Amino acid sequence: MPWRRLIITASIIAPLLALFAYGFMRDARYIHSPLIAKPAAPFAITLFDGTTLNLENLKGKAVFLNFWASWCPPCRAEARDLESAWRKVKDQNVVYIGVALQDTEENARAFLKEFDITYPNGRDESGRISVDYGVWGIPESFFIDSQGRITYKHTGGIRAALVETKLAEAIKGIVTAQEGKGEYQQVR
Amino acid sequence: MLRRALLLAIVFLPGLAAGVAAPDLEDQTRALAAELRCVVCQNLSVADSPSEMAQQMRAIVREQLQAGKTPEQVKDFFVSKYGEWVLLKPKTSGIGLLLWFLPYVALTFGVITALWFVRRWVRRKTLAEQSPAAGGMERVRSEIAREHMEQPDSEDTSPRAELLRERERLRAELRELEFDFQSGKHSEADFMALRSEIENKFGALIERLDRLPAETRAHAAREKRPAHTPANKTPAKTSNDTRRRFRRWQLAAGGSFLLLFGLALGVFLMQSLRPRMSEQDTITGDFMTGTRGAATAGLLQEGKQAFAKQDFAKAIEAFKLVLAQEPNQPEAHAYMGFILVQAGHGDGALMAFEKALAVAPNFPMALWGKGMVLYRDKQDYAGARPVLEKLLQLMPPGEERNEITKVLAEIPTSGGPSQKAAAVAPTAANSGQTISGKITVDAKLKGKIDAQAALFIIARPAGGTAGPPLAVKKIDRPSFPLSYSLGQENVMMQGTPFAGPINITVRLDKDGNAVTREAGNLLGDYKKNPVTVGSQNVDITLDQLAQ
Repeated sequence: MPWRRLIITASIIAPLLALFAYGFMRDARYIHSPLIAKPAAPFAITLFDGTTLNLENLKGKAVFLNFWASWCPPCRAEARDLESAWRKVKDQNVVYIGVALQDTEENARAFLKEFDITYPNGRDESGRISVDYGVWGIPESFFIDSQGRITYKHTGGIRAALVETKLAEAIKGIVTAQEGKGEYQQVR
Repeated sequence: MLRRALLLAIVFLPGLAAGVAAPDLEDQTRALAAELRCVVCQNLSVADSPSEMAQQMRAIVREQLQAGKTPEQVKDFFVSKYGEWVLLKPKTSGIGLLLWFLPYVALTFGVITALWFVRRWVRRKTLAEQSPAAGGMERVRSEIAREHMEQPDSEDTSPRAELLRERERLRAELRELEFDFQSGKHSEADFMALRSEIENKFGALIERLDRLPAETRAHAAREKRPAHTPANKTPAKTSNDTRRRFRRWQLAAGGSFLLLFGLALGVFLMQSLRPRMSEQDTITGDFMTGTRGAATAGLLQEGKQAFAKQDFAKAIEAFKLVLAQEPNQPEAHAYMGFILVQAGHGDGALMAFEKALAVAPNFPMALWGKGMVLYRDKQDYAGARPVLEKLLQLMPPGEERNEITKVLAEIPTSGGPSQKAAAVAPTAANSGQTISGKITVDAKLKGKIDAQAALFIIARPAGGTAGPPLAVKKIDRPSFPLSYSLGQENVMMQGTPFAGPINITVRLDKDGNAVTREAGNLLGDYKKNPVTVGSQNVDITLDQLAQ
């Protein structure tokens, strides 16, 4: 009788404790993306130099798409790395696109100037592109292969070495199902 | 006339229709947005959240509804971008179905359990009320305890015989119950309840026997009645006492637990809440919520003190805690940057300074750190100059401002190597110049050498103790006496010339970690410090023991 009671009590309490532990251990803010290995949403963006860039015209190239904002500390932290990685690969069949979101034109331009960013950048004024890519914590980076498929997603700051590796994988069409995670800032 | 009316209708109807549809669209947008979870605030719907992201999401909902999409299609769009997480109401299929039904299952289970307890409680109470009075119960228990009782004739079918058989059955049932209780099959509460039930039945049976005609009762009088011994009453009395004591203990334990729980909750809640300091601030600020708030200032101070004492391990720990609570604390980021510079991680340091500047663009400490790393470590003169110029504008006149002006004067306007570095770098003779000598251990301290220790030979500009060393050489598991030489290749910040009057010190570090200082490390310095580059026979003895 006492054993039976103990087992019944434990079988009720143990799953509850496990549920609590799971709840406390996971990052409640983290949203897993359902977009990996899916076709990247098409978009056209007006760049800061006034030209328009259309993702659909970039088929055949590997694309590195980075969402950022000038007010976001991890975005500032990774900016120099991204530019150095871009300078190494810009002669290859790859394109970098920076998308500033929830930012003023003035601040975004100052950011690009400060870090001497030379790859194409534009502003997602309406937030349509950000929502299309399920953006919630910046910086967020997407790697798109030559077929227009998302091969890897990284939420938070990313280092140049990882950008180079994942771009090389995107060129080969290798998909990484596991999302990368760095220090991130929630959107506003 | 009719044509004119029709024409008017065609002209005005779309407007009229739009006028009617507009509020409808707003309602639909709001209803749909109320079903979507805001990605910023988590527990608010897109309809209720004031965030910029929620506003943009609402605009997309409105736009898609206007384009003729059904609410289901709009929801599917958001699910395709953010996953089912974005739905405040989970779908009624797959794992979502479980989420819908689980609360009802839990509720039903809870109600059934509650009813079971209430029923048991009511039954016990009823039984207690129905149980014979004290005197009656005494008789019942003595009857049960009697060893010799009248047995009915097996062929006797009279009502009395039937009752006697029933009496025997109840006595057997009670004996079995007691046996089960002794062997631990029933809890005390269950045993009491069941025993009381049987005793009540037994009492009713005795009453029925008593009501039978007198001649039949004469048989009963012939039955031997053993004397009532106090021993017969004792078990019941003891059991009741135990039960009462157990109840009292239960009540006391429950009460104490509730009191403690209430007190703890009150204390922690009071500590966890604090006034909102800014718009971005939260009202929670305690270890329970992960944001210690007021404690952050203390930790920051602790980190700064450790930094000043060059206890970098302790400083890192304090700043990390500060950043865990306030991820964008600029001062903590800046200090972390300086620690990383000290450890020779220019890239990491630069990132730390950038994080500080994202929050406080005019923070002098971070500007200084960033400028110096860009200038000295990265040799990015074009990048360093505007940073230091900005700092110069912010600094009031004084020694620090003069220092910045001095550094700025060193940086060439072009992107090439700095004037100072250029003056030093090309001179092969200079870059080839070293400081060399021998390191020995004092005879008294030879027993204190740790087999896993690493030797650090440290060169600092004479007259300066703060800031990173000019050059450091690390030798793992050294054996003494040891010959060494320090040169340009050991300089910590690229581009800094290995020149000038230099103080040389050595440290045999127990854990080989440059940023920690532990007791038992052996220390030594060159007795004729400072030395100039090119000096030989700069012999040092490890003759001090760190406490």
